[in-house]
Amino acid sequence: MKKWVKVILLIGLSVPILTACWNQKELTDLAFVMALGIDKGEDDLYHVSFQLVNPGNVSSGQNGGGQGLPIAVYKSTGRTMTEAARNATKKVSRRLYYAHTNVVVISEEVARERTQFLNLLDSFARDPEFRTTTEILIARGASAEEIVTTLTILDKLPVSKITKEIKSTEAMLGENFSITIDDLIDGIVGSGKEPVLNGYQLIGMKEEANKAVNLQKTTTDAFLAADGLAVFKDGALIDWIESKKSRGVLWVLDKAKSTSITLKWKGKKNALVFAPIRSKTKVSTILKHGKPVINIKIENEGWLSEANTAIDLIDPKTIGKIEKLTEKAIKKEVQISVKEAKRLKCDIFGFGDVVHKENPDLWKKLERDWNNYFADLEVNVKVDSYLRREGVRTNPFWSDINK
Amino acid sequence: MEKVKISSTQLFVLVVLFEMGSAILVGIASGAKQDAWIAVLLGLAGGLVVFFIYYRLYMYYPELPISSYVQEITGKWLGRFIGVLYIVYFLYCASRVLRDFGELLATTIYNNTPLLVINALMIITIIYAIHKGFEVLARVGEIFFGIVYLTAILGMLLIVFSGLIHLGNLQPILENGLKPVIKTFIAQTITFPFGEMVVFTMLLPFLEDKKKVKIVCLGGMILSGINITITVVVNISVLGVALFYRSAFPLLMTVGRIQIANFIERLDVLFMLYLIIGGFFKIAIFFYAAVAAAADIFRLPNQRKIGFPLGMIVLFASVTIASNYAEHIKEGLVVVPVYLHWPFQIIIPSMLLVIAFFRNRKKKKSPA
Repeated sequence: MKKWVKVILLIGLSVPILTACWNQKELTDLAFVMALGIDKGEDDLYHVSFQLVNPGNVSSGQNGGGQGLPIAVYKSTGRTMTEAARNATKKVSRRLYYAHTNVVVISEEVARERTQFLNLLDSFARDPEFRTTTEILIARGASAEEIVTTLTILDKLPVSKITKEIKSTEAMLGENFSITIDDLIDGIVGSGKEPVLNGYQLIGMKEEANKAVNLQKTTTDAFLAADGLAVFKDGALIDWIESKKSRGVLWVLDKAKSTSITLKWKGKKNALVFAPIRSKTKVSTILKHGKPVINIKIENEGWLSEANTAIDLIDPKTIGKIEKLTEKAIKKEVQISVKEAKRLKCDIFGFGDVVHKENPDLWKKLERDWNNYFADLEVNVKVDSYLRREGVRTNPFWSDINK
Repeated sequence: MEKVKISSTQLFVLVVLFEMGSAILVGIASGAKQDAWIAVLLGLAGGLVVFFIYYRLYMYYPELPISSYVQEITGKWLGRFIGVLYIVYFLYCASRVLRDFGELLATTIYNNTPLLVINALMIITIIYAIHKGFEVLARVGEIFFGIVYLTAILGMLLIVFSGLIHLGNLQPILENGLKPVIKTFIAQTITFPFGEMVVFTMLLPFLEDKKKVKIVCLGGMILSGINITITVVVNISVLGVALFYRSAFPLLMTVGRIQIANFIERLDVLFMLYLIIGGFFKIAIFFYAAVAAAADIFRLPNQRKIGFPLGMIVLFASVTIASNYAEHIKEGLVVVPVYLHWPFQIIIPSMLLVIAFFRNRKKKKSPA
């Protein structure tokens, strides 16, 4: 009898412990914030747009997928991020949940003001719910709100369109690359490397971007596209590196994987296209007359994806010549980017870090005024390109036309 | 004292789990910046030397724990006094680790749960384990050792295959000279975690095969030291020095970075799994040492009876030793090493060893 009392007491006592989940949240009580858009208002407050996913309308498959829009956007304001997020609860019926926030869009206006921009960042880094792999973007030529309200075709969730698009651009073209909040903060803190961020544009009829009608056409009236790299110095946006010039930045940062390089052949423009398959960049520094000199060495190999001229591709000597031309073209791209960065007096390539790592003593002297020093730095570029194969044709048909 | 026999494998496993315990989770030696791994290795070397003090003492009294031989060495009353100090020290260490553990869970996943509740669940489990006896704890250790190693290897492979490791972050080596490294070594790594081996002076008499103490403990320390070093190197090379320095829990950040093929990601659960296992063993061993020492000094026939009251002391101490996390860390890095770790881990044992040396020499001479 006494034993039974004990057992029942023990079971009774363990009930409150075994319920688990102190702050459990049911899925239906959560609002998944997919993206944040941060604008500046006239009242000096942050105007934050929360892009929430509308779960019922996203699920794909035969019977799933409602007719409504996949996302809903709520707006709120606040002096700080936290305040804005808390104010948003007045409008949203569910608890805002940030673990799946993949994109933070910041308007150019905010990014240009140092304190306003920097005041945002710690909240993202400190909150345990936030992921450090979150992509951070600058809205270019549009407000951040316009970017996060835009609907996209193909990918139902605009956020996955943005993140996938950046990854594919990084892999196939090499003008933009994935940049996370940690990368950004690292760049702002260290003096040997300044951060860059991807720019994002809304192209077309902006007022149509957030309507369901936008999804009914094959050529949407308004769409999102990456455009250029925003350059930061002393924690604020100072200028842009345009798409055409940004490829060199990726070459130096060793982010470029593949792209297309158009070459001139015997006076004919756009005659050949070289497509790298893999690429490797090494940046090192040596001392010359007591001054650091940066050596960039790029090695890549690839194939010839187009030959629009009569050319003898069977001859290894021709291949050697094409390699030389490619090397020259890549070298030029890199030099253009370096020149652009020097004009802005902003070491976005991390040359300072290289000097720091290889010559710490020298770095201590240069650290204070590195960006100015960078503007007059000697930078040598050496490119080795290898054209390995030419696709499934030997000589192009052009060789026979002219006969 | 409880009658316990453990095998050398079990002791080895406990040494490794205990040493890695919380050291892998927190940003150990972050004061030395990118040279943190050197400070850890120095700490390991220092810790091995310190262990020899405990080992020599063990050689003099292979059947006794520190709470008994301290009475033999310094006399009954002074010995008991020092013994009581050791009980308090072990209890304090247990509550510190419990606090570490609770804080980590409270900041990362259980944001709204009171610290007391998290800690209570842990300490109740530990009291239960200790109630079942040390042999049980040792056997549980064997099981979890395998799990810890599997997760560690899995995690490491995933980090490598995510292409996150940039060894360049470790450069420049010894940028500010040896001074910061030595400072970190003396103020931190020699005592935490390696000097904490002092707790094993309570447990060494349990080992069945007396000859193997040296090889087992040194082996365990070296293995865990290497593991901690690898973790530090990986943390720095994944996060970069600045973020390593700023992170409260660098390993959590590192694991959070893993992203393979868009579906192997958000693996924080691996970290949590390790955290709970490592925390459990570290607290349990400190706590067991305190219970055993108390039973030994106060000559209690049944040490199980004091498990619960001492557990409550640890629980409430863990919540009250600091009013916030910053205070807890400040105490842990500045106050505790100097005023607690150094005296209890190094100074008192060395003095005991010197006295024991003279006493035993006299003993040996007298019959001759």
